[in-house]
Amino acid sequence: MPPIINGNLCSGCGKCVEVCPTDVFFGTKKKQTPAVTYPDECWHGNACVLDCPIKGAIKLRIPLTMMVIYK
Amino acid sequence: MEIEKKQCDVLCVGGGIAGLMAAIRASELGAKVIVAEKSNTLRSGGGGVGNDHFQCYIPEVHGDFDYFWRELFYGQLAGMFLKMDTEYARYWFENTYDILKKWENWGIPMKYEGKYEFAGHGFPGKQLNHLKYSGQNQKPVLTRQALERGVEIVNRVMVFDLLKDQGGNIIGALGTSTREDKVVAFETKSVILGTGSCGYLYPPVTAGANNNRGWPMSLTGDGRAMAYRVGTALRDLELTDRHAGPKYFTRYGQATWVGVLKDRYGKPVGPFVTKPDKRYGDMTIEVSKGIFDEYKKSGRGPIYMDMTGISEKDLKYMLYWMINEGNPAVLNHLEEEGVDLRKASIEFGTFDMTVNGGIRTNYRGETGLKGLYAAGDDVWVTISHAATFGWSAGENAAKYAETVKLPDIGEARAEIEAKKAMLEEIRNREDGAKWQEALAALQQIMLDYCGYVRSESLLSAGIDIMGRLKNKAQTSLIAGNAHELMNCLQVLNLMDLGELVFISAYDRQETRGWHVRSDYTITNPLLSDKLHLVKQVDGKPVTEWIEVKR
Repeated sequence: MPPIINGNLCSGCGKCVEVCPTDVFFGTKKKQTPAVTYPDECWHGNACVLDCPIKGAIKLRIPLTMMVIYK
Repeated sequence: MEIEKKQCDVLCVGGGIAGLMAAIRASELGAKVIVAEKSNTLRSGGGGVGNDHFQCYIPEVHGDFDYFWRELFYGQLAGMFLKMDTEYARYWFENTYDILKKWENWGIPMKYEGKYEFAGHGFPGKQLNHLKYSGQNQKPVLTRQALERGVEIVNRVMVFDLLKDQGGNIIGALGTSTREDKVVAFETKSVILGTGSCGYLYPPVTAGANNNRGWPMSLTGDGRAMAYRVGTALRDLELTDRHAGPKYFTRYGQATWVGVLKDRYGKPVGPFVTKPDKRYGDMTIEVSKGIFDEYKKSGRGPIYMDMTGISEKDLKYMLYWMINEGNPAVLNHLEEEGVDLRKASIEFGTFDMTVNGGIRTNYRGETGLKGLYAAGDDVWVTISHAATFGWSAGENAAKYAETVKLPDIGEARAEIEAKKAMLEEIRNREDGAKWQEALAALQQIMLDYCGYVRSESLLSAGIDIMGRLKNKAQTSLIAGNAHELMNCLQVLNLMDLGELVFISAYDRQETRGWHVRSDYTITNPLLSDKLHLVKQVDGKPVTEWIEVKR
């Protein structure tokens, strides 16, 4: 479950760890690729994606249970 | 656990829109201000990733205030207005223009293409009162303004209880770090509660997935629970509410969608619009947020938000505002799924039940307890309300702080030690219930005994069960670290509120909105002008009816 971090692109700046409203990255060590410690608590609000300075380094995977229904 | 002590004149509990506005104003007046925020003020709260509607009166747009005032009794704010003291409601809209000019000066775009743009949350032919604004970065802007004025922001600390002296005045608050095992004891002349809305009391749309909600998991009614525990009154807790929006991606912002609600065969379900209209949206959803559930139950569903026929310009308009309303994740998801909004219809659903009632305050943000103020979604849920009354509470708390000496929380030493021991017990207990288990137990009781149908027999049974669950949770919760401890404290707050929802629902012997009493099926007009309060007296909850002041 979300978020998904591209370890090759992530600089370990910690911005997502700083801003995440529900602290899904709890326990992440400084200057390291964030650990997604509590994926079930991700609200899919996009704060990490919005504030990440590197495009494509982080994205959300929307769980199947939240798939939008359309016709 | 070590105890860190901090001192201030004004402590803002919660750094959302209300808390930051309060902090900015109090600081401007010379108070030493601390904001304690369990997330990070940059992206915390109901407005963390944005909003796009600021309810306001602008003289050059609306003209006569009295005409504007009468028009407010239609649309989204109508229900709220009927329950608000006139002095309070007028103060709100007499001040929104000043507040929005401040936001504009600070760098929150309040104009669209160079002018004030009003759209959504309104009926065709009626005056509009929801200003479209680009709120995606409102929290970073407000955070910067607070810091520039010398406000100290303490992120990742959850305040979980307030401290009073023998005379009943507020003298401090207790918090716990959400990142390390540490208690933070705030010694303060005043506290402003602004902890936001209260979701999470009822089961989520998706079984077991508490994260599928309209608000992030930090909005658990902490302010209401703390206010109650120190003896302030809470209002209309039993009038729980249900919002609606895209199924199954639970997200608010229904008025940002520019489409027509239609059934499976393309027939509009409401009377207001027949083609997408960016000025009004489809007000059917605001007249009846339960319509999606009703259609489903009666076999007539599903209902779709149909954008067919929308112009390229209006589509662009809608997408721009969806991003500012904090819904970029929904748009990214639709894009990844290959959904073309010009051709597809998005199914809408009625969401989970949330608490709508809040802390009773006057327009100055006063709760009736000396030194305790509240603002924002802790009081009434909406954006410009949070901004206006956050400002007002900050001003009045700062003025109050000038008149009193810095208290000594040493007076509450025994209480502080007891709370610290409670935290340590949760952290050190080896076997027991994790917060998720306790929350699921609470939610199933709320739904089964105080859910969509309520009655004296169900509610009285539920009150018994709630009491047992609360005792059990207090003696069995476990937390593996500071983060899980925060979640445990949130669940304990929700349990206190759940019990009060039961007691208030039992005492409201009528049906009103989502409060459906099978044994009192009529909506009693004599209660329409009344507020239902619950307050702790001698350790027990006591309910009371008071008149709305006109």
